[in-house]
Amino acid sequence: MALTTPRTTQNPPLAAVVGKTPPRQHRPNARSRNKVILNVALALGSLTMVIPFIWMIFTSVESPAELAQFPPTFFPQEWHWSNYSEALDAAPFDVYFRNSFIIATGHTLITLVLGSMAGYSLARIRFRGREIVFISLVAMLMIPTYTKIVPQFLIVKFMPLFGGNDILGQGGTGWLNTWWALLIPGGLSATSIFLFRQFYLSLPKELEEAARLDGLSEFRIFAQIYTPLIKPAIATVGLLTFQESWNNFLWPLLVTTSDELRVIQVGLAVFQQLDNTSWHYLMAGTTLATVPMVLLFVFAQKYFIQGFTNAGIK
Amino acid sequence: MTSTETSPPREDTRPEAARGGPSGPPRQRKYSASERKLRRTGWLMVTPSLLHIGLWTAIPVIATFALGFTDYNVFSPPRWIGLDNYVEIVQDPVFLKATWNTISYTFWTVPVSMMLAMIIAVALNQGLKLQKWYRTAFFLPQVTATVAIAMVWLWIFNPQQGLLNAFLAIFGIPGQAWLADPDWALWAVILVGAWQGIGIKMLIYIAALQNVDESLYEAASMDGASSVRKFFAITVPMLKPATFFVLVISVINAFQVFDQIYVLTDGGPANATTMMTYEVYRSAFQEFRMGMASAQSVVLFIFLLVITLGGRRATREDH
Repeated sequence: MALTTPRTTQNPPLAAVVGKTPPRQHRPNARSRNKVILNVALALGSLTMVIPFIWMIFTSVESPAELAQFPPTFFPQEWHWSNYSEALDAAPFDVYFRNSFIIATGHTLITLVLGSMAGYSLARIRFRGREIVFISLVAMLMIPTYTKIVPQFLIVKFMPLFGGNDILGQGGTGWLNTWWALLIPGGLSATSIFLFRQFYLSLPKELEEAARLDGLSEFRIFAQIYTPLIKPAIATVGLLTFQESWNNFLWPLLVTTSDELRVIQVGLAVFQQLDNTSWHYLMAGTTLATVPMVLLFVFAQKYFIQGFTNAGIK
Repeated sequence: MTSTETSPPREDTRPEAARGGPSGPPRQRKYSASERKLRRTGWLMVTPSLLHIGLWTAIPVIATFALGFTDYNVFSPPRWIGLDNYVEIVQDPVFLKATWNTISYTFWTVPVSMMLAMIIAVALNQGLKLQKWYRTAFFLPQVTATVAIAMVWLWIFNPQQGLLNAFLAIFGIPGQAWLADPDWALWAVILVGAWQGIGIKMLIYIAALQNVDESLYEAASMDGASSVRKFFAITVPMLKPATFFVLVISVINAFQVFDQIYVLTDGGPANATTMMTYEVYRSAFQEFRMGMASAQSVVLFIFLLVITLGGRRATREDH
């Protein structure tokens, strides 16, 4: 959300970030001793990061009897995988999961199509008013969620001709409790347009000049020449959008009240409020909410890292 | 809708083409036609995004400022009340408490996690075999949902069956009802925030370390400088621009803490952990005071604006 410095141009190439740096010159003994100390410290730190996740999974397979034990056990005595199917009976976590998936996919598609077009246009086409459009966009980057959330809610509530509203937006519920409210307002962010612009800007100018001389339409230059060249950027922006959308909580909390439209993060919070003793079911649900992002991150790590380093957003 | 958006540039290019016509080469006229088409395409491609950002960001921001001067409960039309909301905010002990909590939350989470992140980034820059695994571990809390993470910590903080009290019991330290105790609840929230926030800061530091000139360290080694001395004399000063950047984005993010408050404490006990964002949420969606909520979010916005501009200035002076 907050993007203060356009860092894309200053950053080293990804390979430099991810790659190893050559070890420095030290006396061999001191070097290996330092490495052991470093490894121990980092391993302890990493453990602190990972243990909550491990305990989440362990709890999700424990029996209620084991959960009630004092002092608590860390390793489960028995693995009750049936907790997961029982959790689905306690709350429709499968529906929540599906809803989250649909919304995150929808947001990603909208962002990739609209954001890349706008980013390309701002980077590579000199049209009148481009500077003003770009400066306004940068101004929009700075807007915190809470400075727009109340009117966004009101726009959704008073959306004309939806949900029983008349042409002036009166009389009904508008987009509240509809897919529209979940899919459209969060579908695009100024940040993604800005990132796309930076990526298109980094490509050479010769390509477009040659293509324009050949009489290719501008849209084909965009779709067939430039966009294939920024595949890594598409992956980066796509993954960031998917992740942010999957993890979003406040907006779906505000615009939905029905179980059928609830996303998994809101589903977890509601389940916890209704039943604050079934920790095994709650942790099963939390595991379901966490695992897709962990897998996505582990397998597409370099794109995530590039995205987070460039945008500095959460 | 797109045709109305694209017509202004088409009209606007004409005088420019005419002006360039006489002095330019003979091909100018033909070039102008394609140029015109190009400009139209430019507008065509940016318009859907502009409409979206306009409706869902630009208009809401303006509306927030306007609604801040009104009394509005959604069901009856807004009533203009001037600065009354702001007068009430200044006198409202709960909002002052929320402001103070937000500042303390930021004051403790940001420097602690920044310091840890810098040390970890330097450690991960030493060419260790396992560094990729370590980096993944430190970054993991950043990619998972704050709500899910807060849920796990809610369980960890559980006074009877939670992991934290059981861990402290090993060392004979008595457990606490962390989230129910007004003296501890904010610290518990701060712990979660600092724990989760390390990853992104570490990543930015790792990227910045790639720009530090290796020869500085070699020269320092030849002068017999210790590792600790090199860290403070070379690494910390060289990371200064990155530190400003990390500081600004971290403070902005910390000021907008919401999800973990919602899950962990609901702002309690006795408003011990309520935040500015949480008061905006309460005013708007529990009390349906849209005008008050807008005024409160304007106050939050001003805080963030000052921080951003301050950070900008500091960064600029540094270069």
